[in-house]
Amino acid sequence: MLLEVRDLHVEFRTRDGVARAVNGVSYGVDAGETLAVLGESGSGKSVTAQAIMGILDSPPGRITGGEILFQGRDLLRLKEEERRRIRGAEMAMIFQDALSALNPVLPVGDQLGEMFVVHRGMSRKDARAKAVELMDRVRIPGAAARVRDYPHQFSGGMRQRIMIAMALALEPALIIADEPTTALDVTVQAQVMDLLAELQRELTMGLVLITHDLGVVADVADRIAVMYAGRIVESAPVHDLYKAPAHPYTRGLLDSIPRLDHKGRELYAIKGLPPSLMHIPAGCAFHPRCTAARDLCRTDVPPLHEVTGERGSACHFWRECLDG
Amino acid sequence: MPEPQPLEPSSYVPGGTAELVPADAEILRTGPGGRGPRGPDTTAAPSVAAEERVRSLWSDAWHDLRRNPVFLVSALVILFLVLIALWPQLIAPGNPLDCDLAKAQQGPGPGHPFGFNGQGCDVYTRTVHGARTSVTVGVCATLGVAVLGSVLGGLAGFFGGVGDAILSRVTDVFFAIPVVLGGLVLLSVVTSSTVWPVIGFMVLLGWPQISRIARGSVITARQNDYVQAARALGASPMRILLRHIAPNAIAPVIVVATIALGTYIALEATLSYLGVGLKPPSVSWGIDISAASPYIRNAPHALLWPSGALAVTVLAFIMLGDAVRDALDPRLR
Repeated sequence: MLLEVRDLHVEFRTRDGVARAVNGVSYGVDAGETLAVLGESGSGKSVTAQAIMGILDSPPGRITGGEILFQGRDLLRLKEEERRRIRGAEMAMIFQDALSALNPVLPVGDQLGEMFVVHRGMSRKDARAKAVELMDRVRIPGAAARVRDYPHQFSGGMRQRIMIAMALALEPALIIADEPTTALDVTVQAQVMDLLAELQRELTMGLVLITHDLGVVADVADRIAVMYAGRIVESAPVHDLYKAPAHPYTRGLLDSIPRLDHKGRELYAIKGLPPSLMHIPAGCAFHPRCTAARDLCRTDVPPLHEVTGERGSACHFWRECLDG
Repeated sequence: MPEPQPLEPSSYVPGGTAELVPADAEILRTGPGGRGPRGPDTTAAPSVAAEERVRSLWSDAWHDLRRNPVFLVSALVILFLVLIALWPQLIAPGNPLDCDLAKAQQGPGPGHPFGFNGQGCDVYTRTVHGARTSVTVGVCATLGVAVLGSVLGGLAGFFGGVGDAILSRVTDVFFAIPVVLGGLVLLSVVTSSTVWPVIGFMVLLGWPQISRIARGSVITARQNDYVQAARALGASPMRILLRHIAPNAIAPVIVVATIALGTYIALEATLSYLGVGLKPPSVSWGIDISAASPYIRNAPHALLWPSGALAVTVLAFIMLGDAVRDALDPRLR
């Protein structure tokens, strides 16, 4: 396993109380594999990623338990300086909104080159040459001429390509992409996703793709982990999950996708709202919104039951769900 | 957005699921896939880039400033002031300390366009030579305040924690000290007649103002996504502070410092007027205003010229600060 997160707990101490953002998340990614982490806003998917990268804002954020094994080392036990050397070089992150994730006052070439200056000690001139190479690699037209341009002079799609180039600069073993296409036009989304998938194959990187877009997931992911209220509720190979979800929440998500053959019918929506992380319901966190909830769900937290060797569901009644 | 949009929105909304994405991708691949000159950005980019080349915050600001009459006028005045501060002999070859009591309070005459003051000194020569002290005090005090304040405030804002809490309380204490009263107390014990004790006093009392602004500005900049991105790419804290935060946080400091420059010049005159700033034989507008004020009825010209010079100078710096603020604040654009 390239990356293995085990029983990770993260909480945020705020003035209004403790928000338990991540409550025992476990997942793993192999080299060359794509894991999609799916969930609504506030499900803890981004916080998990920040904890892996070591860029959690603390305070108020705090990792209260678990381990993060990366290439066999527990990242949480490393010194900050050691982690800093891993960041960018061995694992890198692609952010959602490239316009705000790029420094507005620095030319993109300088920002790309910074990777080589920081981690490889290259001279500015060599780093700039590398930057042009990278921009070519992510297919930015006229890279040599545009290396001195500022982020706002690029279109959204081109900016996201630059983000990708920055993340891939040092050919890291692991990439975490936090909703890399959400801020883009639908037409550009596919191009950027294709580019990312292609580069991932080329470099056999592990990819953690955080998203709430089921369409993106189906196309590129090998495995899916569905998160709800800071927990993994279902984890499965992508085709198994689409064929037959083993958790009512996943089923709800799949049912709420608009489909051509349902034209004219009302679109399904999961009723209710995601719980506040300050007051996660007792028992199964999903029970107030679940159509199949019973007494057991209100009192007992369901463990991640093994459905088959490679899939799991955190539902007491996963068998019924699987059968439809 | 220069990206092409070959699909009608209605054709992808109803089926926006797994099946349709690869189809989108196939269509789109013909667009950006080729690296040739017909890529999606190249069609729009050159025209946009030519017109927008290097329009960063700073070049935008410069672009605005050059067209701002307030900036042009104040910059010209300041340029002139700096020139006569450096080389007063250019336009006033006389010696400001060369006084003749016999000519005391005489009005303007040939070779002496501003007349003489109560000590019989040439008002024109003294007014021109007084610019040097004012500009020196203003520039040095501002530099000192800006450097000390932005370093302390920037570090406190960036690292936070105990240091930040202590610094914030210290700035509160300094804000509670009335400047003129503080000057009367602290400077009355100084015997040196140079400008340095006055500058030191201004830095001592002025840095908290800049420090507070720099702190807030750094805290705002620190929350930007690109700072988190820089962290995620392995940049060290110092590198993040100097390369990613400082350039994005410095604008408010520059604005406040420019405006403060004018007020420091006025403060020097105030302190000199009160007898605790510069002392004779230094030549300063404040000293001359102070000396001339008892004779305002007999010899108003001795009061008018140094006061006028002071007012124009302070006004010029405050106008410059205003123009710079307008240019650097994107919200006013």
